[in-house]
Amino acid sequence: MGTTASQLAKDSLSEYQELTFLTKQEILLAHRRFTELLDRDERNHPNPRVPMEVILTLPELKSNPFKTRICQVFSTSEDKDGSLTFEDFLDLLSAFSDSATLEIKSHYAFRIFDFDDDGTLDCGDLEKLVNCLTGETEDTRLSSEEMRQLINNILDESDIDKDGTVNLSEFQHVISRSPDFVSSFKIVL
Amino acid sequence: MTIEQQRQGFAFTGSGFPTDQESLRFRRASSRMSAQIYHEPNSGTSPAQEEEQSGSEPTRELRNMVFPMALKKAVWQVQQMQAPAQFSGGSWKQKKTIFVRKFKSNVREFLYFFSLWGKTLQKIGGNFGGGVQSYFIFLRFLVVLNFVSFLLIAGFVLIPSIVFRSVDIKPEISEANVLSAQIHADCLKYDPNPQGLVVFYEFLLDLLSGTGFMEYSYMFYGYYNNTVVVTSLVGSDFSYNIPLAYLLTAVFYFAFCLICIIARMGKAARVAVTTGGSDVRSYSMIVFTGWDYGCLGSKATKLKQRNIYYRLQVDLEEERLKKHAASLTLCNKVTLYSLRVLMFFVAIGLIVATFVAIAYATTFSQENNNVQGFLGLFYTYLPSIVITTGNFLVPLLCDQIALLEKYPPSATVVVALLRAVVLRLVSLGILLYTLWNQIVCHGSTDTCPCHYNHSNYQCWETSVGQEMYKLTLFDLLVSIALLVLVEFPRRMVVDHWSCKLTQWVGRQEFVVPSNVLGLVYGQTVVWTGALFCPLLPLINTVKFVILFYCKKITLFYNCRPALRTFRSTTSAFFFLAVLLFGWILALVVMIYSVAEIHPSFACGPFRSFLRMWKIVPDSLAILPKGTRDFLFFIGSQAFSVPLFAVSCVFMCYFIALASIYGKSVAMLRAQLKLAGQDKQFLVKQIEKMKLLSPQDNEGKQD
Repeated sequence: MGTTASQLAKDSLSEYQELTFLTKQEILLAHRRFTELLDRDERNHPNPRVPMEVILTLPELKSNPFKTRICQVFSTSEDKDGSLTFEDFLDLLSAFSDSATLEIKSHYAFRIFDFDDDGTLDCGDLEKLVNCLTGETEDTRLSSEEMRQLINNILDESDIDKDGTVNLSEFQHVISRSPDFVSSFKIVL
Repeated sequence: MTIEQQRQGFAFTGSGFPTDQESLRFRRASSRMSAQIYHEPNSGTSPAQEEEQSGSEPTRELRNMVFPMALKKAVWQVQQMQAPAQFSGGSWKQKKTIFVRKFKSNVREFLYFFSLWGKTLQKIGGNFGGGVQSYFIFLRFLVVLNFVSFLLIAGFVLIPSIVFRSVDIKPEISEANVLSAQIHADCLKYDPNPQGLVVFYEFLLDLLSGTGFMEYSYMFYGYYNNTVVVTSLVGSDFSYNIPLAYLLTAVFYFAFCLICIIARMGKAARVAVTTGGSDVRSYSMIVFTGWDYGCLGSKATKLKQRNIYYRLQVDLEEERLKKHAASLTLCNKVTLYSLRVLMFFVAIGLIVATFVAIAYATTFSQENNNVQGFLGLFYTYLPSIVITTGNFLVPLLCDQIALLEKYPPSATVVVALLRAVVLRLVSLGILLYTLWNQIVCHGSTDTCPCHYNHSNYQCWETSVGQEMYKLTLFDLLVSIALLVLVEFPRRMVVDHWSCKLTQWVGRQEFVVPSNVLGLVYGQTVVWTGALFCPLLPLINTVKFVILFYCKKITLFYNCRPALRTFRSTTSAFFFLAVLLFGWILALVVMIYSVAEIHPSFACGPFRSFLRMWKIVPDSLAILPKGTRDFLFFIGSQAFSVPLFAVSCVFMCYFIALASIYGKSVAMLRAQLKLAGQDKQFLVKQIEKMKLLSPQDNEGKQD
């Protein structure tokens, strides 16, 4: 369990290949990039955990508006501080990889958008989501009336059981009709 | 591992239990989670299920499970320990599926290594979005298509010709086809090489217009001989018929391109159909699927955010406008519709004016064919110049017209694209039609002994090939000239000189549709000319490679990303559909040349045939009887009518299958709605019972 100092053991490599959607090259590249984020003394640690601020220095995540949510979703730490081990990092890359299925991607997308972690997307979650999408600067923020109109339209279209929130199956139903989702929900190192 | 440890390992639901509502939700979520947890080990422990599944399926499902790595590893180890029990059961099937999966992933890795410009396309997509990336993917597809088809032509026509010419096998005139006494002496005259000294700039002129040293070379149709190598001549078991090879290679080239286009269209169409019927601009789609996680850099992110903001605003505004338009008075509606009809006729008028200009320019250019020097060069390039000017000006004017028409934004884009497609492809058709009118003679056989316009065209196929070559070359030169003379200066002016005019003009935007139409136009020209200029696919490959790098440079240095983006998946299908139209145009031209016009007497591989197509029946006649009968049977009605009937049956089957799937999707959606209503009802019941039970408890405590 865990990674040795600078090399990935061969059986770990094949195990990771079986359990994720990544190819051998991608796993090795991920290992290299992950070890670059560690300090010297952390590198000899059997299962190092990288804090969220360091993970967010990766160029692929640095300017993503959902970066904090992504780290929190994939983190397995008890303090829920968004720190990632190497295996969490592989889980992240596997979900965002080219060959991951629509199910996996839509499941993780739902969790990322669920800002309050309650299992459904309610109006507060949707408003935070739209603000992340449009940016929080003054000239790209929707007015409150426009926001209300937008959230009402979204709930009209996707809330099938009319409970005022979007649950996972309703979310997956919307996602399955989008041809671009699988190709845009992708992070490649 | 107990359930508690598992749950603690990845508690993603809410951690507190303050109210009953939240505990209900938590229990719902955790029961869903538990169902997922128990799904895997349960199927692992029951032996009956194991025998049905192949061993690789649990591992495949493990990848698909939404667990953190630690849990997946534990489950996998558990499965590995139980593996010996499974292996004895379906070992061959397991090994086969594992082997196939490993093979597929190896092949994919290998192909990715070879994929051309992969990293560049990724960078373009991250910085400019999927629409621009789809243009470059389309360009890459055309480069590969042209290169592979050139290999086809080289293998079957070019290399044998070079070999036979170097071995010095003499061409022959087949006596069966031509009564030599009846060929007019003039028809056999053809001297492409100029006499006397050649001035140095003549070399450049010849290079640009395909005359002079280039005319009588492997470049054009006229150089190829009608060499027919038969077994008796060579002495061994080898025979090669160059005219037949030339014609069949051209036919297979068209068929190969069609298959490639249809295969790619199938892939794109499958994606478009599975999502079919959905409103592309629906709000939940934009919000849930709008973000591109491949965006790199804060600049690209800000642009993407502004893009999404713009789209949402436009859609919300359009909704408000629609509500407003529904309340328009009758008078307003009448004026709007009459304005639209008027603008439609204006657009048609502009397009027809362009066509007339092209026809006139082609006729004028062919009449003044023999003028020398740079003025002569200008005359030969006149049709290309008129076409390019028309393709540049008319869409600009149509955009201005579209502003007056006030269609909703999505309809405007479609209408503009349709007009541009019609303009481009039909203008090429007009050029070809005028050219053919010049070649074919109108009159009786006395005035026209060679059955084609011999006085102007001693070798008309080479002239057509030269025309296509000039169109291709001019297209490339105009692109490079625009890059150097317009786009770079525009950026420098906008960046270094800030005044109101430059702010209004702004930096260039990379407009995907018109660029794609340029590619389709270039490819159609190549298809039309391939029969007469066999090296044209190679020239086109080089041209598209140069174009790729030029467009990449202009994209990164001169352009700003567009605010209105082009949808990438439906657009892939649209590009291929337009390419198919171009292919059909080229096919019509080829069929007409092969079947209707008399080949030149003085040059080319078909010089002794009445029509180019005649070589096929003649070659069939010398096949052995069994093969001939089989081929005739396939072509006859006894075979094709049952084949047609069987294809109709298969098509009906697939249509029925598709409608069944559509109906089941609608039914499942209705079921989902019902399940939601049941859930609401149950929640209300629980709340009612909760309200009752505290009163009972209070009663008991008292």
